[in-house]
Amino acid sequence: MTDETDIAAARERLRDTLVAVAGGDRAAFATLYKLTSAKLFGVCLRILGKQGDAEDVLQETYTTVWHKAGLYDPERASPITWLVMIARNKAIDRARADGGEPHAAPIELAADIGDTAAEPAASAEAADSGRRLDDCLKTLEARQRQLIRTAFFEGVTYENLAMRSNAPLGSIKSWIRRGLMKLKACLER
Amino acid sequence: MSGPDDIAAPPPDRNYLAAEYVLGVLDPAQRREVEARISRDRAFAREVAAWQLHLAPLADEIEPVEAPRYVFTRLQAALFERKRRGWLDDVVVWRWLSAGAGAVAAAALAFAFVASRQPPAPTVVAPMVAAINLDDGKPAFLATIDLSRGTMLVLPVSAVIPADKAAELWLIPPGDKPHSLGVVDVSHPVSVTIPPALRNAVTLKAAMAISVEPPGGSPTGQPTGPVIAKGGISSI
Repeated sequence: MTDETDIAAARERLRDTLVAVAGGDRAAFATLYKLTSAKLFGVCLRILGKQGDAEDVLQETYTTVWHKAGLYDPERASPITWLVMIARNKAIDRARADGGEPHAAPIELAADIGDTAAEPAASAEAADSGRRLDDCLKTLEARQRQLIRTAFFEGVTYENLAMRSNAPLGSIKSWIRRGLMKLKACLER
Repeated sequence: MSGPDDIAAPPPDRNYLAAEYVLGVLDPAQRREVEARISRDRAFAREVAAWQLHLAPLADEIEPVEAPRYVFTRLQAALFERKRRGWLDDVVVWRWLSAGAGAVAAAALAFAFVASRQPPAPTVVAPMVAAINLDDGKPAFLATIDLSRGTMLVLPVSAVIPADKAAELWLIPPGDKPHSLGVVDVSHPVSVTIPPALRNAVTLKAAMAISVEPPGGSPTGQPTGPVIAKGGISSI
C-alpha cells in the first residue's frame, strides 16, 4: 500500500513537473532531468551500446521534451512512459541511422516447448499493468517471449534477430507477430 | 472503423505495424511510414498508443544509469545559451581565426567563457566581446565582457611590449576621454573588474585600446605612451 502510494505520489510529482516544463519553467526542467535522466540514459545505452551515442540521444530527447512538453497528455500515459517512449524512438532511429548494428551477440533461441499453461492474473491485479504484462508474457512460447523482450530492450530489426539467432527471417517475423497478437489478446481480455 | 474497407482483409503485414513500430523492429523507411500514418489516421494512432502502454512496463526492467554531468551542461547550453554558443560563428571571430592568429586563444576564451557560465547567472545580459587589434589587424588581446558580473576577461594573443613597460587597457566611450581599466598581462589572461561608474559606458559604441605605459600604469590617468592596439566591442 505504501509502495503504491509512493508510486502514485512520484507520478503526480513528475506530472506537475512536466506541466511546469510545458510552461517554460527551466527550474522544473532541471528537476525533470534529475528525476528521469538516469532511467532514460539506461534505455538509450541498452539500445545504442555506445556511451557517446547514448549521451547524444539523451540530449536530443530532453531537447524534444523541452519543446514538446505541452503535447504530453496525462490521460494517456504516465510521464515516465511518455519520456521512455521518446527516448526509445530516438535511440532506435539513431541505431538505424548509424547502419552498424550495435548488437551482434548470438541469440540462443529457447526450445519451443509449446504454449505454457499460465493464465493471466485475475482482475484484482489487473490495475497493476506491469504484473499483467508479465503474466501475459508468460502465456507465450518461450522463444516468442525471448524475441519480443530482446527486440524491446535492444530495439533491433527482424533482420538482426534472424542473423543473431541463425533462424530464417520469416520464422522470426512470424514468431514475434504471433506472440504480439497473443499478448494483445491476453492484455485486452 | 466500420465501412466497406473492413470487408476486404487488410494486407497481413499491416495488422502488426503498430505493434512492430512500438517494439522497434521496423527499418527506417517503415518507421517513417508509420509516423506519417499516425499523424493522419486517428484509429491507427490509438493503436500505437495502446501498444506503447502495453509494452511500457518492460522498461521497468531497464537499470537506470547515471549520465555524466556534462550532458546536462551541454543540454542547457544548447537550449538556453544558443547565442553564446553561436559566437564562434561570428564573422569577427572567424576573421581572427582565418588570419591564423589567436585560434588557440579563441578556443581558450570560448572554454573560459562557457566555464564561467556555470551556474548560469540569474540576470541575463547579452555578453559582449572585444578584439583589440594591432595596426596590421591581428588581435593583440581578446576580451569577453560579462556585464551581469561587471567583469571582463582579457586574454593576450599577440601583444609584445618592452620588458620594462606595462600594457594598460582603456575604455573609450564615444565622444569621451579614455578611462583606465588597469594594467593587463601580456602572457596570462586577466580578469578585470569594471569599475561600477564605468559599467554603463561599456556599450557596442565604445572602443577599447592598449597603450604602453610605465610599470604600474599611466601616472596621469590618461595614456602617456603609444597606443599599440585598439578595437570595438561587439555582442555575441
